[in-house]
This record gives sequence, structure tokens and C-alpha cells, in this order.
Amino acid sequence: MKSFAKSAITVVLDRLAEQTRTYVPMRDGVTSNFSPWSERRASDLALNSLNTTFSPKGIVFPQTERLYDFAVDGQRADISGTHAETGENILFGARACDRKAFAALDQVFLRRGYVDTNYKARRDGLTVIGRDCLQPGPFCFCDSMGVDPMGADGADVLLHETTEEFGWEPLTEKGQALTLRLNDLLTEKELIRPESAGCRLEVNVAGLPEKLRGMFDSPVWDELSTFCMNCGVCTYICPVCHCFDIQVMNNGSSGCRFRCWDSCMYPEYNLMAGGHNPREGKRDRFRNRFLHKLEFFQERYGSFGCSGCGRCLVTCPHSLNMVLVINRLGEVKVDAS
Amino acid sequence: MPPDCTCQNPLVPSIVKVVEIVDETYDIKNFYVATDQGIPFEVLPGQLCMVSLLPVGEGMFSVTWQAEDHLQFAIRRVGLLTDALHEIEIGQELGIRGPYGNGFPVRQCEGKNMLFIGGGIGLAPLRSFIKHCFRRRKRYGQIQVLYGARSVADLCFKQELSVEWPAQPETRIFTTIDRPEADWDGKVAFVPAYLEELAPDPENTVAVVCGPPIMITLALKSLQKLGFKDDQVITTLEGRMKCGIGKCGRCNIGSEYICLDGPVFDLAHLRHLPPEW
Repeated sequence: MKSFAKSAITVVLDRLAEQTRTYVPMRDGVTSNFSPWSERRASDLALNSLNTTFSPKGIVFPQTERLYDFAVDGQRADISGTHAETGENILFGARACDRKAFAALDQVFLRRGYVDTNYKARRDGLTVIGRDCLQPGPFCFCDSMGVDPMGADGADVLLHETTEEFGWEPLTEKGQALTLRLNDLLTEKELIRPESAGCRLEVNVAGLPEKLRGMFDSPVWDELSTFCMNCGVCTYICPVCHCFDIQVMNNGSSGCRFRCWDSCMYPEYNLMAGGHNPREGKRDRFRNRFLHKLEFFQERYGSFGCSGCGRCLVTCPHSLNMVLVINRLGEVKVDAS
Repeated sequence: MPPDCTCQNPLVPSIVKVVEIVDETYDIKNFYVATDQGIPFEVLPGQLCMVSLLPVGEGMFSVTWQAEDHLQFAIRRVGLLTDALHEIEIGQELGIRGPYGNGFPVRQCEGKNMLFIGGGIGLAPLRSFIKHCFRRRKRYGQIQVLYGARSVADLCFKQELSVEWPAQPETRIFTTIDRPEADWDGKVAFVPAYLEELAPDPENTVAVVCGPPIMITLALKSLQKLGFKDDQVITTLEGRMKCGIGKCGRCNIGSEYICLDGPVFDLAHLRHLPPEW
């Protein structure tokens, strides 16, 4: 198998970033994120840390993005420019959970009638270099959510990690193109691929969507949501959460309309002009978020809206995370009638 | 639903001009919009459009009539965008994108008696269907419209309710207000109570309901009491919407999106979804 020595990582990243913006897991103060290699110091490289604080979803679905510009003059109005980034990007070191999340976002943005132009442009321009996940962390539960931490799904190239080397396995045409670019840095080597230690954390989701259909009115939602502060951090760090707002920046005679991430945890999310709010209470919003991920997403797209990355376990200030919720929902007895 | 295509960015509006503004009530205006070529796109009764006053914002509105050369939107003044819309004058250019949603099942209802039940601005989407029926009068059976508003001043489309529609063959119009008023000699009752009093025959009839959420909830119960089966009752829902294309997340009821899978639902279908509307 083609491979490169781990010690040559910066040379490989330099080569990739020479032509294409290359997002790499990097430390950024107390957090970590996938950041462009060229904009950061090599000492911030965080390849060995487990999941980054923020997911890589922002590469294909930016936190804020301009949709179009407008100009007004008296009663006249013009849409003067639309924005859809078409450049190419590389995502280096994406683990199976984050690649599974991309597959979920693809369902939302590319299927069911409409194709989201901006998302598609970014997604088409993205080459994903995945990596084996040999040692899932204490908060990881991807294999319970149907994700193989060593799987190749969603990767254009898969990196196989050994003690000294990264094996380089191109899987798609996009992956082959990168192989050509790195050819002189790759050497042919016999690699023994270690096995993943697997996730220590397990949840049981078998039959859960069906069970949840009868649990909309369960008092368990009051209990679970009691300590939720509706801070929304879970929705920002979640690699699958895709809700967005569309807002206007008005400079008087011109401006732009942009979209930005939004959170279903906020009271304004469903508040209609006139004051009606179908999910007025905290319980309602909490319930909708978890039912969306565990029941509605499954019904609509055939997969869970959670890839088991564990970020919400790390970040929720009250530990009201996916694992706690799934476990508690599993305990609840549902009246068969 | 359109096929998956990337031919045009679905979030970017095109420009239309306001060609007429009709004051319906003190807080409802009917805006007629068109391009120089006529309608910006074909719209079915009950479908939605995202209308924007570019520097202020966008909002989802149901089409209240799809005329040959323009679209009509009856808009009540309830917030930031609608306040601003109520200040504009004829000639104003707006952004528009759509049409969104499924619309009313106008073909499946052919051959049926139609019972339209509306409250307040809820008559706006129903009107697109009612006028559709009158345009093709022979395809529909008896038409009844039950419409209620808080007060006489809140009744919209008065000319149509009192003169034009009652003049149509086999058509009965029932109008009610919530509280007695000095110069009103018509009915005073809430819509659901009046509905039960009128007790329309469910036989071969489809009921179409739109109004404030509480009115819809109570009217659905009344219809059930009167013997209407779930598949004979249709309602059109609203929700806060940003994208209109089933991506931004917020107008979901269970696994369905009002903007994409609705806004029109029959009661049989609605019973499978959480009561979050």
C-alpha cells in the first residue's frame, strides 16, 4: 500500500495546501476545529486529539454565508449578485462519524425535491481524506449508531494509521487525483492495519424510532428537559444539525441576505409574527430536537440524525446529551394500548 | 414537487412589481403583484410564496388568488415585515420566490360538495380555492362558505362575501362575527358553534378549514361531531418558515415540513403527526 511516514505529515499537508485549501484538525486555544492548514501554525496540528470541538460541517455549510446582494432605489429593487463558492477544498483526517454526518447533511440539502445550490457547490468541490479511528474516545458511541469507526464510507481517500506510518488508500476519482499530486512523497510499503479498539460507550437504538412514535406525550420529556438551559450549544457543535435562519443586512440603499446556523432550542425559532408559537415551552423544543434526530430523521431519510460523535457529551453544560437521552428513553415503559 | 435540479438557486428571489393594493380591512391589504410579462410563475390554489421587501425581510404568504396576469396576497399587519408592506405604494418592487407546498387537492375534490370554513385572515388561502371552484362551477357540487371574524371591521373580501359569491348558483354564504355590534344584523357566534348549528350534511362533501390555530382545532372537532370522516376534512397550516424548501428545519410537524409536504393536510394524515401547529 502507498504510505507516508507520520514524521512527514507537514510536507504532505504543505503539498496538498499548495493548490487547494486543506482543512486539518487544529488546536485553537482551548477548543479545536478543522482549520485551513496554511493559516495556522504547524504546532497547532491536532491529529492525535479525538473529535474536534467543532465538527467540519462548516466547510460545506458555513456558519454564516452570503446568499445574494440587493440594491434599492426608491421603489426599484435589484438582486445584484448571488454567491455560491465553487472552489475546491480538502478535508484531511475526517473520522467515520463526521463522514456519516456529511451523508446525513447530503440527505437534507441534496434530496427530497430541492437541491441547495450553495451546499452542492461546496460539497462537489470537497475531497474527503478520511482516517481510521483506532481508539475511539470515552464519549464516542458511533458504532451504536451504525457507523464503523474503521469504515471507508464517505471517504475519497482513507488513511490507515500504524505506529509510524499513514497508509494512503485512494477510493474514488477525486482520491486518485490527490494520489497523483503526492506521488513522489508516497512509498509502497507492506502495512499491517491494526484493529480498532471500538467504542466503550454503547447505546441501544434497536426499535427506538418505532417506540418513540408512542412517546410524544410521555412525561419523560418534562423530566429530561428540566435542566436544559436552551443554550443551543448542542445544535452548534452537532455535525448533523442543519437548521438555519435567513436574515438581512441592510445598509440603507443596498445590502445582502445571508443565512446562518440557527438553533431549535431558542424560543424565537418557531415564533410567528402575531405571537403564535407551536413550541412555546422548553419541553416542546427539547422533545422536538431529540425526536427529530431519533425518529423524524429516520422516518424521512432512513437514517438517524446522529452519528455518535460524542460532541454533545463533552459540551452540554448539564450533560443532557444524546447517550443520556437514549438510555432514559429506553427505560421508559410504553403502554401497548 | 420539482425534480432535483440545480438550474436555479431556490433561495434567490426574482423581482415583481406591486400593480394594485386593495384595502380589505383596517389591518389587511390585498397586494396584486406581477412582472412586465404577467405572473412570475404558475401557482396552484393553496400554494405559498416567499415575498420580500428586500431591505426588511421575507415572509411566507399563501396566494389568495392566482389571476391570469397577476398574483394576489392578502396580508394582515402583524409584525415587522407586514408593517413595512402596509406602508408601500403601487409600483413598489418586491422579491418573490416559489411557489412552495402542495396546494389544495382541487382535482380530487371535483364532483364533491364543498364546505369552506374560514376565520379572520384564514379566508385568504381559502379564497384561492373558492374562486377556483367558481371558475369551474360545473365541476363542483353545492358550495358553502362559513366565514367568521372578530368584528364587522375585521371581515375581509366583503364585496365577494355579500354580493358576488351569493349570486353564484348553488352557493350559500354564512358570515358571523364574534360579538354583537350595533349596525350588524347578521349572525353573532364563534365559527365552530355556528358550524354545529348549521349542521351541513357530510354526504359527498369535503370541508376545507383555515383560520387561527384554536379555530382550526375546534372546527375539526365540530366536523367530527357532525359525522365528517377524517379524509373528508382538509386544513392548511402555517408555521415559521425561512427556506420554503424543507431544509431550514423550523416548520416541521413530526417528520414532515409544512412548506414542502403541506401546507395542506387532510385530517386523516394530520392525526399521524404531533399536534404541534
